[in-house]
Amino acid sequence: MKDKIFGVLQRVGRSFMLPIAILPVAGLLLGIGSSFTNSSTIAMYGLEGMLGEGTVLYAILTIMSAVGNVIFDNLPLIFAVGVAIGMAKKEKEVAALSAVIAYFVMHISINAMLKISGQILATGELAEGVLDGTIATACGIQSLQMGVFGGVIVGLGVAALHNKFYKIQLPNALSFFGGTRFVPIISTVVYMLMGILMYFIWPMVQNGIVALGGLVTGSGYIGTLIFGLIKRALIPFGLHHVFYMPFWQTAVGGSMEVAGRVVQGGQNIFFAQLADSANIAHFSADATRFFSGEFIFMIFGLPGAALAMYHCAKPEKKKAAGGLLLSASLACMATGITEPLEFSFLFVAPALFVVQVILAGTAYMIAHILNIAVGLTFSGGLLDLFFFGILQGNEKTSWLLIIPVGIVYFLLYYFIFKFMIKRFDLKTPGREDDDRETKLYTKADMNAGKEKTEGSAEVIKDELSELIVKGLGGKKNISDVDCCATRLRCTVKDATIVNDGLLKATGASGVVHSGNGVQVIYGPSVTVIKSNLEDYLVIAPDELAEVEDVVKDETVVVAETKKEKKVIQTIIISSPVNGMAANLSTTPDEAFAQRMMGDGAAVTPEDVIVYAPEDGEVAFIFDTKHAIGFLTDSGVSLLLHMGIDTVKLNGVGFETLVEVGQKVKKGTPLLKMDLAYLKENAPSLVSPILCTELDENQKVRLLTEGAIKAGEPLFAVDILE
Amino acid sequence: MKSFNYIITDEIGIHARPAGLLVKEAKKYTSKIVLSANGKKAEATKLMAVMGLGVKNGQEVEIIIEGGDEDFAFEGMKLFMEQNL
Repeated sequence: MKDKIFGVLQRVGRSFMLPIAILPVAGLLLGIGSSFTNSSTIAMYGLEGMLGEGTVLYAILTIMSAVGNVIFDNLPLIFAVGVAIGMAKKEKEVAALSAVIAYFVMHISINAMLKISGQILATGELAEGVLDGTIATACGIQSLQMGVFGGVIVGLGVAALHNKFYKIQLPNALSFFGGTRFVPIISTVVYMLMGILMYFIWPMVQNGIVALGGLVTGSGYIGTLIFGLIKRALIPFGLHHVFYMPFWQTAVGGSMEVAGRVVQGGQNIFFAQLADSANIAHFSADATRFFSGEFIFMIFGLPGAALAMYHCAKPEKKKAAGGLLLSASLACMATGITEPLEFSFLFVAPALFVVQVILAGTAYMIAHILNIAVGLTFSGGLLDLFFFGILQGNEKTSWLLIIPVGIVYFLLYYFIFKFMIKRFDLKTPGREDDDRETKLYTKADMNAGKEKTEGSAEVIKDELSELIVKGLGGKKNISDVDCCATRLRCTVKDATIVNDGLLKATGASGVVHSGNGVQVIYGPSVTVIKSNLEDYLVIAPDELAEVEDVVKDETVVVAETKKEKKVIQTIIISSPVNGMAANLSTTPDEAFAQRMMGDGAAVTPEDVIVYAPEDGEVAFIFDTKHAIGFLTDSGVSLLLHMGIDTVKLNGVGFETLVEVGQKVKKGTPLLKMDLAYLKENAPSLVSPILCTELDENQKVRLLTEGAIKAGEPLFAVDILE
Repeated sequence: MKSFNYIITDEIGIHARPAGLLVKEAKKYTSKIVLSANGKKAEATKLMAVMGLGVKNGQEVEIIIEGGDEDFAFEGMKLFMEQNL
């Protein structure tokens, strides 16, 4: 059980790596872009000439900041898709599409609920009394602010739906919507309901957070500690903005008289004092307590954690993990964007996140106690430290104290992370289990699943896949598998060793070759066949690869000899009736078309008499007279099934002309049909003429299509060596 | 050896299509499976023979299973008969 949770967590963590990889880049763009376009920064240092509005640099920095911003704004969607891709077992692209759909569906459902309840007015404005920051736009949809958490809900849920349903088989009439195509459909339905549910649940979460705000303003250093803990803990939910903004920007964070006027909010107080710095002896740490501590763990602490993770990575993965951790650390140190680093361990090792929350939370308090008062525009990176700490001088900010405290924090982070990672074998970046082991896990998983559904559908499916692979010349020969509405489209390395007969035996109604492309026509259920085949191909190599490597040449030879197997005897079966001959797969009845009853041909009668196709014996006649069993003297068991569903006519429309057990010559009339009546009352006149008992070395070969007379050759049964 | 009796409830009896399904099911097992009805016997894997029994609605069929996987086949065949015939 523990292993299983671990396995899942590990997959979740790995699935976060793809979206996380973009964050450092976005963070640098946003951090640099917004720091140098901040009008108070520019004004402060008299850089209007170089960076002021209208300059080229300003334009470039504005674009950089906008690009970084768009990624952060849409992080929930990026996570929804990224997690869905990471967690889907197969056909990941379908999960990705479904996640996008589900994300929109969930938010528009919330939006609709908000409109219905009047929290969003018809004009698109928020109603009065709606708490600031609780409603935000998600890709242009006004919805509840759910942050990255909203995206993760979508990603995990869609992946679960996908893994459950991507192979679903629907009734034939609906089979087009089966398999992977069902996933976006079910996701839409589920996430519509999820949106409605979230409308009711999420505000409770938000209210809880706002209530916590009251605790903080309570008092002094403890209040600062609580603020720090809560703010850091809220990061994964994206709700920290809801929480800290009031402290930074409103009276919740305190008010102070600066230069003769009352200023509210910690950040506002700092900037007001900054503008009036000539008259200020030391900036107010009571105002900056809501952010000054961030410099300590963002510039020093978290990079220490990154170094610990790097040192704990497996040797062969150090390079890859190092790249991720280094860029994430740079973003964190330079711009104070911590998400790339925090997310790299948050989901794989929540325990480490608890450590981070506690350490970071205390950093706020320590900065407050030490009277450190460094302001920031955006976050606690080196850029802000430089502008609002170093440049302001130590007398006014006490910024130098950040360095010794920071070094202590660096060591604390480094050793605590290293200890915990080693002690609990946490799967931080570079410590994931090998792909091979993961594959083994999947395989064991599959086998376990197989045992559960013993002997039923699953086994047949696998047999089918095995046959298809064999028919395509073995796994080695298959380079690509895909499908369209009805066809399995494969690319093979050597088209000559593809065995059409074997493929047809798997239920295909036809095989089309074009160069190295092979199309096997199965009908609308092909998506399911394809999924199963892909599953099979994944587990196949473990059993086959070695054998294949050793006897590679031999297998080719064997395959060739198989193809060259000589036909030692051919039995011709003639048409029992005048009419139109066609491939059996065109029969408008699945049981016959899929050759479940045997192989042969379909003839649509245009004459009333059914004749004995060859010399032989009438083995049986159904009471309903619509079908005759016929044993030829050459030893072939034939079923002459006149029309489709004619069993329901109870014998009306048919007249038997022979007895059961009677020996007849080819051309002896067996049955007389009332074609007009049959046309009127049976779904189809198409009549399967087929061999019910075929040995493995017997293959049916259709000899003619189109008009045929009774007694003319219809198909051949080739008996191979 | 295991065996069970089953009364056919399918309106049209063991017909071409159900017979095809039955043969397909029977071929899944290594055990020899024999159907007995109307005083005749037929190997369940031979479609011609099964159809030749001409079993109709309401008639009783005895299914006799013998071989290595007979327990498994017994359950499988029983389930199949109940679901399809």
